[in-house]
Amino acid sequence: MWHIAKRELYDNLNSLRFALATVLLLALMLTNAVLYLREHPKRTQAYHNAAAGAIKTLESRSTSLYRLATEGPGDMHKAPSPLRFCAEGDEAFLPTHAGGANYGRRIANMTPIWRMFYPQKTPNLFNIRPDFTTLDWAFIVGYVLSFIAILFTFDSISGELERGTLRLTLANAIPRHIVLVGKFLGAFISVNIPFAVAVLMNLILISTSDAVQLNAEAWGRLGILYGIVILYTCLFIALGLLISAAVRESGVSLVVLLLIWVSFVVFMPNTLASIGSRTSVPIAYEEFWVRRMQLADAAREAYRNKYGDSQTTPSVHVLGEYVTSEAEENEDYNEAYLKLQIEQGKRARAITRISPTAIVQRLFESFAGTGFERHLQFIENVQRYARQYREFVIDTDRADPESLHVVGIQEGMSQKPVSPEAIPKFKDTLNLNRDFNTAATDLLLLVLFLMVIASGAYLAFVRLEI
Amino acid sequence: MLKTLIGRELLDNLMTFRFAAAVFITLLLVVANTVVLLKDYEQRLTAYNKAATESHEALREEKTYARYAGALIVHRPPNPLSIFNLGLDKQVGNKIEVYHAFVPTMWDAEKHGADNPFLNLFTSIDIVLVFQGVLSLLALIFAYDALAGERERGTLRLVLTHPIQRGYILLAKYISAMLCLLVPLLISLLLSIILLTTSATVALNADDFLRIGGIVLTSLLYVSLFYLIGLCISAMTRRTSTALMLCMFVWGVLVLVYPNLILTAVEITPKPDAKISVYNQIKQTWEELERKKKQFIRNDTVLSLPSRGGEDMDAGFGLEGVEYTFWHDKDKPSILLYFHQTGLYAGKIKTESEPQVPHVQNYYSFYNRETINTVQRTWLVRKPALEAIYVQPANLGRMLLRFSPVGLYDAATEAWAGSDLEGIQDFFSTVQRHRRAVVDYFYDKKIFESRQWFAADKGTADWDALPQFSFQRSDTGINAKRALPDMLLLLTMNVILFTVIVLIFIKSEV
Repeated sequence: MWHIAKRELYDNLNSLRFALATVLLLALMLTNAVLYLREHPKRTQAYHNAAAGAIKTLESRSTSLYRLATEGPGDMHKAPSPLRFCAEGDEAFLPTHAGGANYGRRIANMTPIWRMFYPQKTPNLFNIRPDFTTLDWAFIVGYVLSFIAILFTFDSISGELERGTLRLTLANAIPRHIVLVGKFLGAFISVNIPFAVAVLMNLILISTSDAVQLNAEAWGRLGILYGIVILYTCLFIALGLLISAAVRESGVSLVVLLLIWVSFVVFMPNTLASIGSRTSVPIAYEEFWVRRMQLADAAREAYRNKYGDSQTTPSVHVLGEYVTSEAEENEDYNEAYLKLQIEQGKRARAITRISPTAIVQRLFESFAGTGFERHLQFIENVQRYARQYREFVIDTDRADPESLHVVGIQEGMSQKPVSPEAIPKFKDTLNLNRDFNTAATDLLLLVLFLMVIASGAYLAFVRLEI
Repeated sequence: MLKTLIGRELLDNLMTFRFAAAVFITLLLVVANTVVLLKDYEQRLTAYNKAATESHEALREEKTYARYAGALIVHRPPNPLSIFNLGLDKQVGNKIEVYHAFVPTMWDAEKHGADNPFLNLFTSIDIVLVFQGVLSLLALIFAYDALAGERERGTLRLVLTHPIQRGYILLAKYISAMLCLLVPLLISLLLSIILLTTSATVALNADDFLRIGGIVLTSLLYVSLFYLIGLCISAMTRRTSTALMLCMFVWGVLVLVYPNLILTAVEITPKPDAKISVYNQIKQTWEELERKKKQFIRNDTVLSLPSRGGEDMDAGFGLEGVEYTFWHDKDKPSILLYFHQTGLYAGKIKTESEPQVPHVQNYYSFYNRETINTVQRTWLVRKPALEAIYVQPANLGRMLLRFSPVGLYDAATEAWAGSDLEGIQDFFSTVQRHRRAVVDYFYDKKIFESRQWFAADKGTADWDALPQFSFQRSDTGINAKRALPDMLLLLTMNVILFTVIVLIFIKSEV
């Protein structure tokens, strides 16, 4: 078996395709590293500035508990992932922060209290540049490496069949599956050599730069990503062997492989996503605004019916109840709408799993800490913090015996100053365990794909007539 | 003789598995994506119709002319040909306010029926994108063994024993391969057009079919260019396997790698301080207007600036019967937009204020005229700055893309479909003209200085008499003019490559 693998390897190493693949992958990986080193420091700087600014704003509000309750903690910013060179995850389309607002329908000139609000980002509105995919690892692996894997394997059985060397090999007393495994290993190693070299150059460039520090966890994640790359290349090599054995002519096998590649890698993820997202469409953003205002109006109307016009100032407790319930209702509505949007996005992404490239893209995003899943994590962090912040306000208020404990009303809250250090601060974190859980299904699917195709290749080769 | 050769090549090509597979996959991808795009188009059209009706009704609820601020909104209809090449049709704003205090541009537009941002993660696949990926691959697959294969098999030597010129052999190969490649192209286009015409919402006119014809022609040039690239590689190499590898890598680089590489790598951001200085300049011009306005009111014998807390209020003039004063302003440094408008709305002016009314009318005559002059002045700075910040980088990106046939093909088909930058800007220049027409109408009918500008008690605004907005997509001639440079480039590349191949082939030993 090693003999066959070695022969296969020598064959490949001397070939034109090996040289071309090495050049291509090296060029791509080096560009990736250079661009990352150019962009990432700017990104982290911007994040740190924004986060520091947010903390400053928060501390400036610590003059009274009432201000903290009505104005809220300010914007919460999403930390950029240090592994963004692995998967861009279309971060350009996702909001970089979440925040709150204190606009609502007023009663008796009361300031409405703060509620969570999720900004929408439409960067496309000003973007008139031509469309493109960012050169991240996910692209290099998903598109280019799979393409190279196909080019290395399309003739590995059919070519030998045509030249007649397969007959010679099998004339020796070697079981067929050993031949197949040998071929598989040979192709696998020869595809992986240029990729490994390119990755090495990429990582050397990134890790020697002062601008970026990758910690142990980041290296762990990179290791997992490399494992995914291995699985993915195995998949395409197995596919190449399968078609190569099933079709017998190398010209035809290449055409079939390329067509499969084009449909599964290039077109399927996007087309399927468009179809999948159509199953249930939430209302448009504008309509959401309109309905939000209608809800607020209805709440105010209900209040007026109960307590009369706002000209006569009602008691602190009545007002407190109104501002609190108004903010809660409004926040619930914001959250419900966000949930609908997320559901739609999830459905669109779920259906793309038919394509292994989409699976790999998702896995890369999970482990690089970018993209959709990461954004969901960020939103969870934000929501957890919002609860914590509210509890802090209520607890501080309770601790003051002089207070009337009516949150949201100036006279009803503690008048004591709040120490700026005591206010909880938002810190965005990435959690690897969680990534493992979300990625487990995808990993399993990828392994299943591989097993099906590999056994297909085995059957096709064992039954092959020579 | 040429006929026999073409016949032979055609049979060779048509009866192969690769041909059948190619036709099948192109059809599948085109039909699947047409259905998706058609649904998307219908959805956008519904959103457009709904938004347009809503805006129409919203304007008619207003009683005074001054309240057209923020209520006179025009919408950009989706382009049915965006199914062929989506271009910028979907992403750029499609809802824009017409107001005399700013010149409407693409960047001031917003979006009606804005999408779920989590779906922006997927790119829309249009028909041109399918052709761009699949047909170019097919062309190379047809071409790689055309010469190298025959040379290996030795049939080339046999053919050349006949008294035919080598150029003819090449021509025969070229013509037959192009005929074969036309089959998937035309059948899939036919199917998608059938799908389009069966849909009730898409109305294609004769001009649209001409534009589709232009897209087909561009596709032909593109496919032919890739065939010639393959043929060139095939003529230069002695072995089919080498030719194949070179072809595939050339495809990978031209279609897959280069466009993404160049657009990621070229950092095209203008200097931020240049932007800030332009913005400050615009803001200063507006502040000057603000000063002039206050001066005007101070000089007036009757009007006075009511003040609150020591600060001058902008409007009101102590007129009895004022419903409320308004501020309409936009302050968006990122798109260099700044304007500030104030005024008052009066329901029924009380009799004791009646003598003030001519003065207020006089004031509005001055203020609106000055506003329009200010807009004209700021536009002189804003227009070139917007060009420099947004348009030039985009054009630079497109220019760099043209080094790959993919960029040329995309640009030319976008121009035919009218979803390119110029096509979109056509809409916004129509909106700008519409703004001018509305302003001229206000001047002509003396509406700026009329009582109806701010008061609704003696006659209300007549919105139906306002110039109506209508947008027609540009003529086919203009589309053709925009597509022509890229098509010519494609054609030139074709001709050059063909000549090169002829030269190589004539000189080559068999």
